[in-house]
Amino acid sequence: MANFNIDSKKARTYDAIVIGSGISGGWSAKELTEKGLKTLVLERGRDVQHIKDYPTTNMMPWEFEHRERLTKEIADANPIAARCYNFKESSMHFFAKDNEHPYIQEKPFDWLRGYQVGGKSLLWARQTQRWSKYDFEGPARDQFAVEWPIGYDDLAPWYSHVEKFAGITGNKDGIDALPDGEFLPPHDLNCVEKYFKEQVSKQYKDRHIIIGRAAHITEPQQIHLDQGRAKCQHRVMCERGCPFGGYFSSNASTIPWAMKTGNMTLRPHSVVHSIIYDDKKQKASGVRVIDANTKQMIEFYADIIFLNAAALNSNLVLLNSVSSRFPNGLGNDSGLLGKYVAFHNYRATVSGEYEGFLDSTTDGKRPNSGYIPRFRNVYKQETDFLRGYAAGFGANRNTYNDRNGLGESLKAGLHETKYGNWSVGSHMMGETIPKESNYVALDKTEKDPFGMPKMRISVDYDDNDEKMIKDYMEQVSEMFTKAGFANVRTHDNHRNPGNDIHEMGGARMGKDPKTSLLNKWNQLHHCKNVFVTDGACMTSTSTQNPSLTYMALSARAVDYAVKQSKAKNL
Amino acid sequence: MKMERRVALKSMAVAMGAMAGLPSWASGWNKSAVAKGRLLSADQSKNLTMIVETIIPKTDTPGAGELGVGDFVQKMVKDCYDAKAQASLASGVSNIDEQSIQRFGKSFTDASKEQRLQILSEIEKGSDAVQKGFFSMVKNLTIQGYMTSEYVMTNITHYEMIPARYHGCVPVKKG
Repeated sequence: MANFNIDSKKARTYDAIVIGSGISGGWSAKELTEKGLKTLVLERGRDVQHIKDYPTTNMMPWEFEHRERLTKEIADANPIAARCYNFKESSMHFFAKDNEHPYIQEKPFDWLRGYQVGGKSLLWARQTQRWSKYDFEGPARDQFAVEWPIGYDDLAPWYSHVEKFAGITGNKDGIDALPDGEFLPPHDLNCVEKYFKEQVSKQYKDRHIIIGRAAHITEPQQIHLDQGRAKCQHRVMCERGCPFGGYFSSNASTIPWAMKTGNMTLRPHSVVHSIIYDDKKQKASGVRVIDANTKQMIEFYADIIFLNAAALNSNLVLLNSVSSRFPNGLGNDSGLLGKYVAFHNYRATVSGEYEGFLDSTTDGKRPNSGYIPRFRNVYKQETDFLRGYAAGFGANRNTYNDRNGLGESLKAGLHETKYGNWSVGSHMMGETIPKESNYVALDKTEKDPFGMPKMRISVDYDDNDEKMIKDYMEQVSEMFTKAGFANVRTHDNHRNPGNDIHEMGGARMGKDPKTSLLNKWNQLHHCKNVFVTDGACMTSTSTQNPSLTYMALSARAVDYAVKQSKAKNL
Repeated sequence: MKMERRVALKSMAVAMGAMAGLPSWASGWNKSAVAKGRLLSADQSKNLTMIVETIIPKTDTPGAGELGVGDFVQKMVKDCYDAKAQASLASGVSNIDEQSIQRFGKSFTDASKEQRLQILSEIEKGSDAVQKGFFSMVKNLTIQGYMTSEYVMTNITHYEMIPARYHGCVPVKKG
């Protein structure tokens, strides 16, 4: 680097650097640039500009030559990605390919990655439930992991802050264990979902069926129009990228917003190698980047660094940031970096049928579903397993065509839509307990095609998860049966950890620097100008889809970082 | 107001439709997998087209043959199925033609509608597991290709790309 002159170094110096442009990085970038900081956003993948780079978004079903089915060649070459429900002909260009981004599975782990500007915010399920105080209190009450250094009250105003901007549809349900937020009008529950809601509330005093809270604009506010986003049109093709900006993504929202401030520089094709630690200043001075095209190493400098590379990749960057002060990874005096990784247990489903409401059906499409907030072990320990599960719930009127026969009779059958029973279904979203034995680490010899050490992943289910699966199956089957649903069936899909795409932890928050990496402001205990606000920071997982919480943590941490920076405390 | 919004949406969709061609990084996923050459010979392909047309024939609306479903079936089997299924497509199509020549003294494409239906329905109801497996694959793909064809989705099932609504409880339309 000696050849770079002072001007060049100056040109590569910013007020802040954000590593990653996904759902949390987009928020870090928006908040930093709005506060006037010249911010460099580094993204390892290519640029994806809103609308312009959504090549399949307006394609009709018949324009997909395999009608959304994967070719054998693609399925065989990408077994990990192909196990994701969202990996299909219309969306597969937003997934990292297995063979281009290898990692080592000490135990089976489906690591699903979106390497482009916007990251996985183009592909997410858009469910945005707040955590409650009971979720934050979990580890302390139940004696696992470490105590969260923050509680619901710390995050509540930041939930509101991000909800208003992102646009969240939901109903104010007034449920203690699932706080209400800043909601746009809710989607409808359909007849059978409403019926189930009534049945459940009659049978159980502490169980609720609600419409999911989701990042869809059901009634645009000025702040959404200002972003150039419009009302959700219920196409339910979100994973292609939405030309209306109807759902929240970095691409439709935070990244162009940050760009509009004039304070953001976006650099795609920038694989972050490590964070540079300055021994003299005792803080980070910048980052080293491998240019994905030229494979050359370039340094960028800033006083504030936000690490938002996605949960496991943020671990990788920290682990790879070694210096004489931090030989085991940046901020890793505790030796716990990469450990206590957890995820969500999505293994079990329950299905059934309902023979009522046969004169009724639904009309249009809904990019959302029903939701059953956690009811197990909320106020006290009451089962033989720790924590609990939330569940998705949905009902659909079955339609079919008579496919019997050949010739004109078959054709007539295909032209007539017939109505069957309603089908009902649920899937679990279980909290898993972070453990030291569930970890990620860098391989000592093997490198990926960018020259980065390969990630070793060792994450598995445990006995608590098995008990929770059993309980979910029993409880939801009982709820279905009591509601009069027929053919109630349970299923264990045995999916690998990671397939839930809710991997969390490794650089957890905590009160004690001896047992955690980050403090209550998502700031490395031992390197005060580095903040980690993606899934890596999570002390425990609770049951909610995590993205909303990452957004709120990011906005909160930026607010703190900028205040501290102005007070010369970083 | 409502009308204006609809017009706006429509023109937005049209404007964006203009960029439907896939850039290289998107179509690159498919390029090598796209059928280069075909699974079936020209004669077999003609026979397959006649098979799908027999399964879903032209009436007052187009049949599967005219809608290009034969090529769709072949493409799907070539790109998405294993070698065993691919072999069964070729042998199954030839077998049908041979049956037609043996029983009616003419190739399947020249056989009458009744004769063609007779051959296919005997296979469907018959006891030859291999031929049945072949035929079930072809019939399912024919139905898929037909039901997802532009003609059927536009004129018969009235596919809505942009519903812009969800009503959770409406009466079932009778008839």
